Amino acid sequence: MAILETESLTRHYGVRRGIEAVNLSVREGSLFGFLGPNGAGKTTTIRLLLGLLRPTAGHAHIFGLDAWRDSSQIKHEVGYIPGDVRLHSWLDGNTALKLWGRIRRRDLMPEGRRLADRFSLDLSVKVRKMSRGMRQKLGLILALAHRPRLLVLDEPTVTLDPLMQSTFLEHLRELAAVGHTVFFSSHTLAEVESLCDRVAMIRDGKIVANESLAELRTHAGHEVTIRWREPLSADCAPPPALTLTEREPLLWHGRLDGPLEPFIAWLAGKPVEDLHLGRPDLETLFRHFYAPQDAA
Amino acid sequence: MNWGLMLKAALEMWPATLMCGGLLFGVETVMAYVLPTFQAQFSNGMLQIEFVQSLVGAMLGVDASEAMGPQAFMAFPWVHPVVLSLIWSHAMICCTRMPAGEIDRGTIDLTLTLPVTRWTVLRSETVVWIAVGAIVLLSGFAGYMLGRSFVGPDSRPDIGRTMIVLANCFCLYLAVGGLAWCVSAYFDRRGPALAVMFMILLASFLLNFLGPFWNVADRLSFLGPLHYYLPMVVLRDGAVPWSNMAVLLTVAVVLWTAAGVIFSRRDICTV
Repeated sequence: MAILETESLTRHYGVRRGIEAVNLSVREGSLFGFLGPNGAGKTTTIRLLLGLLRPTAGHAHIFGLDAWRDSSQIKHEVGYIPGDVRLHSWLDGNTALKLWGRIRRRDLMPEGRRLADRFSLDLSVKVRKMSRGMRQKLGLILALAHRPRLLVLDEPTVTLDPLMQSTFLEHLRELAAVGHTVFFSSHTLAEVESLCDRVAMIRDGKIVANESLAELRTHAGHEVTIRWREPLSADCAPPPALTLTEREPLLWHGRLDGPLEPFIAWLAGKPVEDLHLGRPDLETLFRHFYAPQDAA
Repeated sequence: MNWGLMLKAALEMWPATLMCGGLLFGVETVMAYVLPTFQAQFSNGMLQIEFVQSLVGAMLGVDASEAMGPQAFMAFPWVHPVVLSLIWSHAMICCTRMPAGEIDRGTIDLTLTLPVTRWTVLRSETVVWIAVGAIVLLSGFAGYMLGRSFVGPDSRPDIGRTMIVLANCFCLYLAVGGLAWCVSAYFDRRGPALAVMFMILLASFLLNFLGPFWNVADRLSFLGPLHYYLPMVVLRDGAVPWSNMAVLLTVAVVLWTAAGVIFSRRDICTV
C-alpha cells in the first residue's frame, strides 16, 4: 500500500523552474531514496509534501490525505528533518522535547532521552552553544521522538560525523523493520545505496529514474582504479565490462558495468599493487546512464 | 489554540516584555512625579506662546490654548514619544516574530511541520501577545501610579479616568499589533517587515503632529491610529471614547484576520 503518492506534482517559482510533473509512490514500511544533485528539486518536492509550498499543478497525498489541505492532520504521523536544522537559540534539548511534546500532546521525554543516549547528545546544552552536528542530532531526536509512521529526511546526514551517520542509518533500518516508512533525500549515491530499497532520481526538476536498488546497481556500475606493480604487456586487453578512461603503464582507471565476479577472476594472477572499487558520483551516473535517455 | 505553541511564544516574548515593561514603568514613574511640578509654570507661561500651543495640541490632539488644569496636564505621560515608542516597539517586536521572524531564522520549518494549522499558530501567538501587551501597559500604569503617589492630592489624576486612558491605549496597541501581524505575514524577512512598520508609524505620527499646522495633514489625520487616541480629553472630561476605541479594535481585528488569511495561503521558503 502506498503511504505517499504524488501525481504530476509541479511547482514553478515564477519563471524559475521548480519541479515538473513529479510522480512518486512510496510503499509503507519501505526505505525510499530520493536522489538528485544540488538544485535538482529535492527540497522543493519535500516542501510540497510537507505543505510548506502550494503546488502549481498536480497533487501530493500522504496517508491518503491531501498534503496541502490536510497538512496539519498528516503531521501527527510525520517526522521531518532538514539538512541544516535551525532551532531557537534559547532552547535546550530538554525544553525542546517538553515543548514539542506539548504541541504534539504526547510525552516525548522517555523516547527523546533514549535517542539522546543513542546519538550521544547532552540534552541540557543550549542550542546557541551547540555545534552544527549537535543541532542536527537534536533535530533528529525531535523528528524521531514521536515514532512517526513516515519520516521525511532532507539530506539529514550532511553535518553528522561518519560514526554518527552510521548510527543514524542503523536506527532508520530498525524503524523500517518494524513498519515505519523512510523518505530519504540525498545527493550521495553510496549513502542511499547502503540504506534504501528503492530509489527515485530527480534532475532539473524531473524524475529521471524510479527503480529498485538492484536495477540502480546494474545501472550504476563501479568506478575502478587499478595500480599495477609492474607494467602489463601492451597486448593485454581489459575485460569487456571494463571501459578504460585512463590507461598508463602502472595505472588504469575506468568504469566497470555488470557483476564483479568475472572482473575479479580476470584480475587473478595479475600484478595488482592496489585496487579501488567505488560507486560513481551522481553526476557521472546521470551523464553515463540517464542523460542519453533524457535527451532522447 | 495549542498550549505548547503558547508556551513557546511566551518564552520568546518575555525578554522584550521585561525590557519594554521595565522601561515604561520607569518612564511613567518619572513623568508622573516630575510633570506636576511644571504644570503651573507651563500653563501660565509656555502655553501662552502660540507655537507651543500648537505643539502641545499636536501631541495631545486637542486645542491647548485653553488653560490646562492639573488633571489634563497628566495626559503627557501617555502621549510622550518615548512612551509611544516603547509601546509600539513591543507590539512590533512581538508581532513580526511570526511568520517573518521565523522564516528569517529558518525556525519556521520545524514549527510548521508540527501537527498544527497555521491559524492555530497565529491564534496561539496572538493570545500570548495580548497577554504580554497587557503586562507592558499595566507596568506603565503601575509606574504612573507610583509617580502619582509622590505628588500632592490636587495634582493626582483620577484613577477611573486613568483606567479609561489605559483602555484606549491598549486599543491603540492592538491596532498597531494588528498592522504588524499583517505586514509580517507578507514578508520573508523580519528586517524589511520592521522597516515598513516603522515607516507607517512614523508617517502616522507625523500626520497627527502636522495636523494643526497643515490643512492637508489635518484632513488625512483620520488615517493614523493616533487620531483615535486622546488621553487629555479623557482625563479632562472623564468620558469613555467608545467610538475611538471601536475604530481601533475594528482595525486590529480586520488587519489580524488579513494576516491570518495571507499566512494560511502563502508559501514558506526558508532556502
